[in-house]
Amino acid sequence: MDYKYIEQLMDRYFEAETTLKEEQILKAFFEQNEEELPESLRPYRELFASFEQNEVLGDDFDERMLQMIEEKPEVKARTISLAERFRPLMRAAAVVAILITLTTALNQSFKDDKVWADQSDYALENTTTGNEPAMAYDLGVDSLVSDSLYKPTGYLE
Amino acid sequence: MKEISFRTDVLPLKNELFRLALRITLNRDDAEDVVQETMMKVWNRREQWQQIESMEAFCMTICRNLALDKTKRAGNQDASLDEEGHDAPDHSYSANPEEQAMQRDKVERVRRLMDLLPEKQRTCMQLRDVEGKSYKEIAAVMDITEQQVKVNIFRARQSIKQEYLKQELYGL
Repeated sequence: MDYKYIEQLMDRYFEAETTLKEEQILKAFFEQNEEELPESLRPYRELFASFEQNEVLGDDFDERMLQMIEEKPEVKARTISLAERFRPLMRAAAVVAILITLTTALNQSFKDDKVWADQSDYALENTTTGNEPAMAYDLGVDSLVSDSLYKPTGYLE
Repeated sequence: MKEISFRTDVLPLKNELFRLALRITLNRDDAEDVVQETMMKVWNRREQWQQIESMEAFCMTICRNLALDKTKRAGNQDASLDEEGHDAPDHSYSANPEEQAMQRDKVERVRRLMDLLPEKQRTCMQLRDVEGKSYKEIAAVMDITEQQVKVNIFRARQSIKQEYLKQELYGL
């Protein structure tokens, strides 16, 4: 068998001139049994054997990795959480506080209004019966009249 | 627009990322940590996934940078070569006679030679010869030009060839 092609490829391989495809050919070529290889090429068998992808990670790595990324979002949230997590609560509390203040304030002013209103109503009820001016007038007139009427006119004379 | 999911688009890259990290950190535990950190980083940027052209290249870039950080931080780039190297990968070869053991040793030797290369050459060679990436893809991951990728691969292959053949000839 003629190994010229392979030898040429090997030369080009060491010159870094081979293509990926040619390197695959070399790898495949050197996979055959040592006895079938010509003496000159035998030493390179191990070189290509050392390129095998036999260093791998076990399945436990996958499990660990998947567990880590599943935990990650939670962990991440927890790191910011103390402030963040209570923020909605604080907001709710603030809203409640504002509402309470507002309602009490409103209630208060509403009550005040009511008192005012009650008072004025009371006043109205008691003062504006409609006859007051007339009554006052009568009273005034009476006093005036009585004054003049009962003035002891005779004293002057 | 294609829906990107962690389970189907990111997680399956784990072995590729692991090998890249391993080639840089030269330590299995560190490499695994790097892959985990990479995936967490990618996950945390999930808002940007739709704008990412290639999830694979994106992950590889992050992975390489994290691996480089790790080796720099540990200051073990050279130290770990001797002290760690690669543990005997008994798991990847089913037990069989001496011949297999011998081949395994040889493969290990190539691996060690690769590990002795400067990081850029090592990473380029890893991405090209192990992962089968184009110069363009490697250039994007490493943020260098395609020409630089080629030069790095050329140098890496040349040193491996020389060192390996030396060992073969002298039976070291």
